[in-house]
Amino acid sequence: MLAQKLHLLRHNVLSFVSSRTGSDLTRRQYDVIVVGGGHAGTEAAAAAARLGAETLLITQKIMTIGALSCNPSLGGVGKGQLVREVDALDGLCGRAGDSAGVHFSILNRSKGPAVWGPRAQLDRERYRQFIQSELLSTPRLTVLEGSVDELLVSQPNPEEPGHHRVTGIRLGNLPQTSHNKLGEFWPIPPDRAGVTESVDGSHPILSSSVVLTTGTFLSGSLFMGQTTSPGGRMGDAQSCAGLSYTLKETLGLRVGRLRTGTPPRIVKESVDLSLAQLQAPDKQPTPFSFLNTHTRCKPEEQLPCYLTHTTPGVERVVRESVHLNCHIQQDAKGPRYCPSIESRVLRFPGRRHQVWLEPEGLTSDLLYPQGLSMTMPPELQLRLLREIPALHRAEIRTPGYGVQYDFVCPTQLTPSLQVKSTQGLFLAGQINGTTGYEEAAAQGLWAGVNAGRTALSLPPMALSRTQSYIGVLIDDLVGRGVTEPYRMFTSRAEFRTYLRPDNADLRLTPRGFEEVGCVTLRRYKKAVSVRDGLQEALMALQSVALSSTRWREKLGNISLSENKSTTLNGLDLLQYKDVSFEMLASAFPECLSQYFEYSQRLKIEAVYRPHCEKQSREMERIRSEESLSLPSDMDYLSLPVSLSQEVREILDRVRPNTLGAATRLPGMTPAGIIHLLNYVLRTGQRNRHTEHRNRSSQKEGEKGQLCASNIPISQ
Amino acid sequence: MLPCSWGLWRSAIHTLKTFRASPSARGLCIPTRAVCDAETIFALSSGHGRCGVAVVRVSGPASSMVLRNMAGLTQALPPPRTALLRRITDPQSKELLDRGLVLWFKGPHSFTGEDSAEFHIHGGPAVITAVLQALGSLEGVRPAEAGEFTRRAFHAGKLGLTEVEGLGDLIHAETEAQRRQALRQMDGELGRLYQDWSYRLKRCLAHVEAFIDFSEDELIEDGVLNQVDSSVRQLETEIERHLKDERRGERLRTGVQVVIAGATNAGKSSLLNTLCQRPAAIVSPIAGTTRDIVETSLDIGGFPVLLSDTAGLRDSSDSVEREGVRRARQRVEQADLTLVVVDSTQLPPDPQLVAAFLQEHLSTVLPSPEAGMTAASDRVLLVLNKSDLVPEEQRERTEGELRERPGLPPACFLSCSTSTGLEDFLTVLQSRVKTLCGDPLSGAPSLTQARHRAHLQQSVQALNQYHQYRDQDLALAAEGVRLALTHLGRITGRVGAEEILDIIFRDFCIGK
Repeated sequence: MLAQKLHLLRHNVLSFVSSRTGSDLTRRQYDVIVVGGGHAGTEAAAAAARLGAETLLITQKIMTIGALSCNPSLGGVGKGQLVREVDALDGLCGRAGDSAGVHFSILNRSKGPAVWGPRAQLDRERYRQFIQSELLSTPRLTVLEGSVDELLVSQPNPEEPGHHRVTGIRLGNLPQTSHNKLGEFWPIPPDRAGVTESVDGSHPILSSSVVLTTGTFLSGSLFMGQTTSPGGRMGDAQSCAGLSYTLKETLGLRVGRLRTGTPPRIVKESVDLSLAQLQAPDKQPTPFSFLNTHTRCKPEEQLPCYLTHTTPGVERVVRESVHLNCHIQQDAKGPRYCPSIESRVLRFPGRRHQVWLEPEGLTSDLLYPQGLSMTMPPELQLRLLREIPALHRAEIRTPGYGVQYDFVCPTQLTPSLQVKSTQGLFLAGQINGTTGYEEAAAQGLWAGVNAGRTALSLPPMALSRTQSYIGVLIDDLVGRGVTEPYRMFTSRAEFRTYLRPDNADLRLTPRGFEEVGCVTLRRYKKAVSVRDGLQEALMALQSVALSSTRWREKLGNISLSENKSTTLNGLDLLQYKDVSFEMLASAFPECLSQYFEYSQRLKIEAVYRPHCEKQSREMERIRSEESLSLPSDMDYLSLPVSLSQEVREILDRVRPNTLGAATRLPGMTPAGIIHLLNYVLRTGQRNRHTEHRNRSSQKEGEKGQLCASNIPISQ
Repeated sequence: MLPCSWGLWRSAIHTLKTFRASPSARGLCIPTRAVCDAETIFALSSGHGRCGVAVVRVSGPASSMVLRNMAGLTQALPPPRTALLRRITDPQSKELLDRGLVLWFKGPHSFTGEDSAEFHIHGGPAVITAVLQALGSLEGVRPAEAGEFTRRAFHAGKLGLTEVEGLGDLIHAETEAQRRQALRQMDGELGRLYQDWSYRLKRCLAHVEAFIDFSEDELIEDGVLNQVDSSVRQLETEIERHLKDERRGERLRTGVQVVIAGATNAGKSSLLNTLCQRPAAIVSPIAGTTRDIVETSLDIGGFPVLLSDTAGLRDSSDSVEREGVRRARQRVEQADLTLVVVDSTQLPPDPQLVAAFLQEHLSTVLPSPEAGMTAASDRVLLVLNKSDLVPEEQRERTEGELRERPGLPPACFLSCSTSTGLEDFLTVLQSRVKTLCGDPLSGAPSLTQARHRAHLQQSVQALNQYHQYRDQDLALAAEGVRLALTHLGRITGRVGAEEILDIIFRDFCIGK
């Protein structure tokens, strides 16, 4: 029923190119193919489909779409900002978090709203269900269970830079059993029958663009104790070597190797929770999504976390087991901020380390020991756990293990996350050297957007680092590359006081709708009404002006630093620590009380606005640097401008995407930048003139490269 | 590379975009971006060295205010582009500083396209310093960053696209001059002081950032922020005290820095003695006599020159001599002009081989080309000493050979013992020094000092923000430390986010 064996004929394929509504049953041509069903892949597929592209998501197991492979949580400091931004661009993870969360808290509550970190513990089952049902109800999105054996590439489009062009993928053979599972798991509504496909044999499927989100599966190997086996996640088939081969050999991409790990899962009943410290969630859960006013989980249904600590015994077990632990003896780079317990103990000996015991879901009988990622042999894992008082009789359900995997050095990508050398090929998630669900989701969304745009013949887009954490993330990746798994921190953002979780909708949603096309009308309307409401409220606040003396009379004992005669308006007053919007609204109910719903946002806006204004010039400068693209096929070695040989070599090696990125290169001279700038500018003007004469719209893409018009979102 | 010069082209980028958007704007002289530059800047725009008249230029919206305040023009401003003889006074103390010409340029009809003013004053260092200090004391007026006038002109569309190529070279020269200037200042008490502040501020920022990004998950000691509080307070006190100190740290070396370098026993110290006409350095036929830097101030063609003699460059087992050689190399790197002394008797007798020999020799004396100094650079002169010991005919043929070698710096035959060739050499040296003095950046300590002071003051102000928001909003408090570090970084070098993260991971066990 589901498996449609099809013999592909070339003329059939061509007929589908022209007919987008052609029967799904026989479709062998898509706009976008997304490989991988993790956080990056699901966001990419959903975003491309939202944009209007016929999209195919290929995953090894449909069952694991939306699976949380590691920690059962979402958000945090820096990461929470990313979730809010993905949501503002109509991505999935924010709403999925609201649906699956079982313990919500805002981290950094005492440190200022710019660095608040919305975070939730998740129910794994609910998260997966939400993501799967979202994908199923997304128009233009087809899901296929299969394994990709090879990328199909051909000659590049000569109008655009690049050495290759991706034309689709070739599927590998699948084990027969997956069909049954598939049928059980994925009920197909009658009107979309055939949307899910499964194919035997080696088949090409063609597309205009491909997004690879293979996570840890690219040449992945699993480590536990002294045993090593190929694979990207325990319990899943290893990925096809063919894909890895295409990337490295056919496309000549540089790859590096990174490692990560996951802790053992512990049987809840076996833990003595009375010996751990209870960590309660926020009394009132705050939803991630701008669309939600409340979370699926009721406040009183939330589950607690528990905090405990390592003991000297833990350190002893680690030291005794080092010789039995292949993973930590390897020199692939692991993260500094999410290290295994082994590397923590070895790097900071003689200390107590925190261990969080986190719920895995409402009905799960497991606990997730955050902070105890380990790769020693299972029997030693058990010994180690039992050195912790609360875990003295703990039982392990599945042991922890380590993963080593290849990543593609992300400096080979453009800010739209396309591989520079290969037209139409996009990468997102761990394959780019990042770690974390949120980082993957953010890249996935943006890669999906651009894969969709490419397929629909729209120019690519970049997000500015002055406008979003997603922009910071991508700019850091493609501009600087990675030496260890990259994770988001608020300290990476220069304009942290502007890139706040509270205003992500204002920063991104209108543009997401008007320029990018990845935001639905419903969300857009909501964001616009919030924007207008806030604007009105700010004006109303500014309209109430009194002398400090009069304000003191109205509001009671507040400390105002200005002298008595100074006139202050409501917005000025709201900057004071002790003044809340509610106080002002009760003083002027007639003009302010209607804005009660915005009280928190208004308070935040009032405090941060003066600081953001101070930074606006610096922001504008960075944006103008970012928006000057350097053509990726520029021949720096023979460029007819006066550049030193050293500078030419640096530029040729790194091939920066923008002038902004070029300035950050070590060894680049200011004079070199000026010459480069001048060249790019002249070339851009010449091109524009030619275009004008030819009235040719075909060169639109190239013009975008040269004249920076490809960054509408930042302008 | 120095951060201040980066600012220059960064904005240039901005402007070029403006060009692109409205190419007509340039021709019509419509002020574009420059209008947004809220700050008013000033700089000495004539060269250094002894001169009759010095020109101080002011540009920016406050220019008219500056003119009114300093030239006592309470009523109307003079007609644009008309010289007016005025008494120039200190705006605060009303003390008379000089009598000179003032000119008013109403934007956009000025070099920068902004409102501008010029003060033509007497060229003595005391007058110049007093006027610059008086300007710096005015609200909203600050010393210009290197090349900032040109940048603003660029902004306003006053420079054509063809001039951009030239701008690139200009920026290169300025960056080079600044690099040398900075190296000179960083090498000493003051430099160490700034570096130390920068280091401590970086740590403060790293600890605040760690507290923001990790304290919810990690065991970050509660005392971290208290430590930052006291470190920030300590830094504020130190910087403020430094700013109040009338001596302003150590006195900066002034003048064109000319360094004599070369192999041992080539006659470097003899050259110094010959040039300053007194035995300032000990000379002897023993190789390695000079072991430390010998400095002397000279007046060459009316320009101040600081001449340094250095230890001969050779590999030595003597640790004192090795240190001398290290200092010599360092000094060459900081030099505006290097005189490479070669013993002519060591030259190959065949004149055709001399150029290659000298090329090779220069590469051992001069720092690597990355430092911006190549043999062909106009910052090197070759002195072929002991010419009296070389046969006349060989010398002439060699001279002829060298004249046709563009890859080599000018070479002068000279005998320190008989003074033959000294006249010719002095002529070449004088023209070089003059060129260097035309570059307003080689040796303008008062301007550099003013710039440093401005950044230090802004740094202290930013640190106030830390205390102001410490308990209310840590993100805004951290912003204060970030800003303070940015300002300090404009003196000591830029600090990136990665560097802060490195400190975080080094100092804390971040484990989640």
